[in-house]
Amino acid sequence: MNIKFRVLPVLVLTMALLFAPEARAQQGPTINIDKTTLNNGGSFVISGQAPAGSQVYIELYAVDKKVRANRFDGKKDPKTGTIPYKFYITKEMPAFYKIIIPAEMAAALDKAKAAGGGWKYSEVLKEVGADAAYSVPAKIKIDNYQATIMASIIGSRGTLLPAMDDKETKRESMKLVKGQFRSVGNLLAAAVETTPEGSYMAKVSLRSGLAPGEYNARVIAVTDRIKEGDKETVTKLTSEVVSFENKIAFPTVYLKNAGTSINLLWPFLLAAVVTIFGVLMGAGGGFILNPLLVMFFPLPHTIVAGTVMPTVLFAQGTGIMNYNKIKFINWKLGIGIGCAMLAGGFIGPKLTEMITLDQFKFVFGWILLVLAALMYWQTTPGYLSKNKKEQAILKEFKKRAEEAVKAKG
Amino acid sequence: MKVDFWGQEFQVNMWVGCIGGFLIAIMSSMFGFGGGPFMVPLMTLALRLPMYIVVGSSLLAIFFNTAMGTARHMQFGNFDLILFLAMFPAAIIGGYVGPMIAKKLSPQVVKRVACAGLVILGTKLLGLY
Repeated sequence: MNIKFRVLPVLVLTMALLFAPEARAQQGPTINIDKTTLNNGGSFVISGQAPAGSQVYIELYAVDKKVRANRFDGKKDPKTGTIPYKFYITKEMPAFYKIIIPAEMAAALDKAKAAGGGWKYSEVLKEVGADAAYSVPAKIKIDNYQATIMASIIGSRGTLLPAMDDKETKRESMKLVKGQFRSVGNLLAAAVETTPEGSYMAKVSLRSGLAPGEYNARVIAVTDRIKEGDKETVTKLTSEVVSFENKIAFPTVYLKNAGTSINLLWPFLLAAVVTIFGVLMGAGGGFILNPLLVMFFPLPHTIVAGTVMPTVLFAQGTGIMNYNKIKFINWKLGIGIGCAMLAGGFIGPKLTEMITLDQFKFVFGWILLVLAALMYWQTTPGYLSKNKKEQAILKEFKKRAEEAVKAKG
Repeated sequence: MKVDFWGQEFQVNMWVGCIGGFLIAIMSSMFGFGGGPFMVPLMTLALRLPMYIVVGSSLLAIFFNTAMGTARHMQFGNFDLILFLAMFPAAIIGGYVGPMIAKKLSPQVVKRVACAGLVILGTKLLGLY
């Protein structure tokens, strides 16, 4: 008995010594970065040493800037044939997320890019093996709600369902990530060059207009993949985290809700030009401003719709005051229809949350075509002759109204 | 419903007006625009009201929608104050400058240009090219 106790520590020590070289060889990859600050984007180089023969992935993410992301699942489930009506929302989506994959996988990304807006993030990740590197968004907290049509109408998100398990959260997080960052190029880049000895280097460029603040990068080296049917066992080593800071300066500011930064001059100029044009064509500027903002800036459609609407509120208010001065508003008619519009305005913003950006663009495209038809109709001779008469009456009434006000005043 | 306006009396079908207004309100608050260009044809064509009663009253009706839509968007956290502050002064300036330029231009030409611009923008959004 006594001998056994003396032998055991010795045995453990020998074992440890025996396996030590092995353990040293399997040490995590090293990581170096050549810059610690960027000024509104720029490029930098990440390099280091990974085990020879491994696939090297770099996970890149914003640390302190988080955004809200949501998705409404209203698609029929092909297996059960029912519509889930589920609403997923998170407040912890990193404002930036990207995985840099080995350069030789560029062809797979090009294929995904060619698929257009309908590409599937989870499938592409699997194809290029980057699901092994996907870790930060997999841990965000996602609330899921069971929505109903009735609940949506009164504007509630539905009943909060119990939290999803890790696997479900990971799966849903990929869909939210895709919804937030949209394109293949935003989420993946093939840029890691590796030598046969395992030293790697990646030139990464960050576009301008991203969130400021601290960013982290870490390297995941996949040393072994064993495929058994559908299941894949991945052996991977993760490096330490390196950080850098992205700095922005006024007039570029960070939009907290959108998760991107923007040079304020552009929306200012755009809004000025569009409102002038809106006045000229006799329609509010929102019709043109919204699609342009969605197309040219990386802003979510919910933020665009929710921010443009208050901008026109003021113009409408002054318009009403001016018409009211000359008693040109029929309050009974305006309030009557206004009550119906109040109900519509209650429902609409909820629906904005429930559609994707692509659906937003699609419907908006048709709305603009209908509007174009209306505009065209207003330049046809039949409309013009009718309008001429009406404008004459309008002018006459305005004159009388103004005189009436003057006479009183 | 009967409506009096400057001594004239109009018969208004409020069912059509309210249902139409309701649908336009949903659409416009959902996509974040005013809705005037749709309300005016609704009231002139469907309700057969003359232009001079429509211009002011439609604006009042739309104001209800915009105010409610604004409040709801804010409630859902879809309002970005900084972006708003960048666009709001521009919208006010545009509101002053616009009418000055409007006097010098033919409205027909402007509408034709707008029409072409809307078709380009619309087809672009639909991803047709």
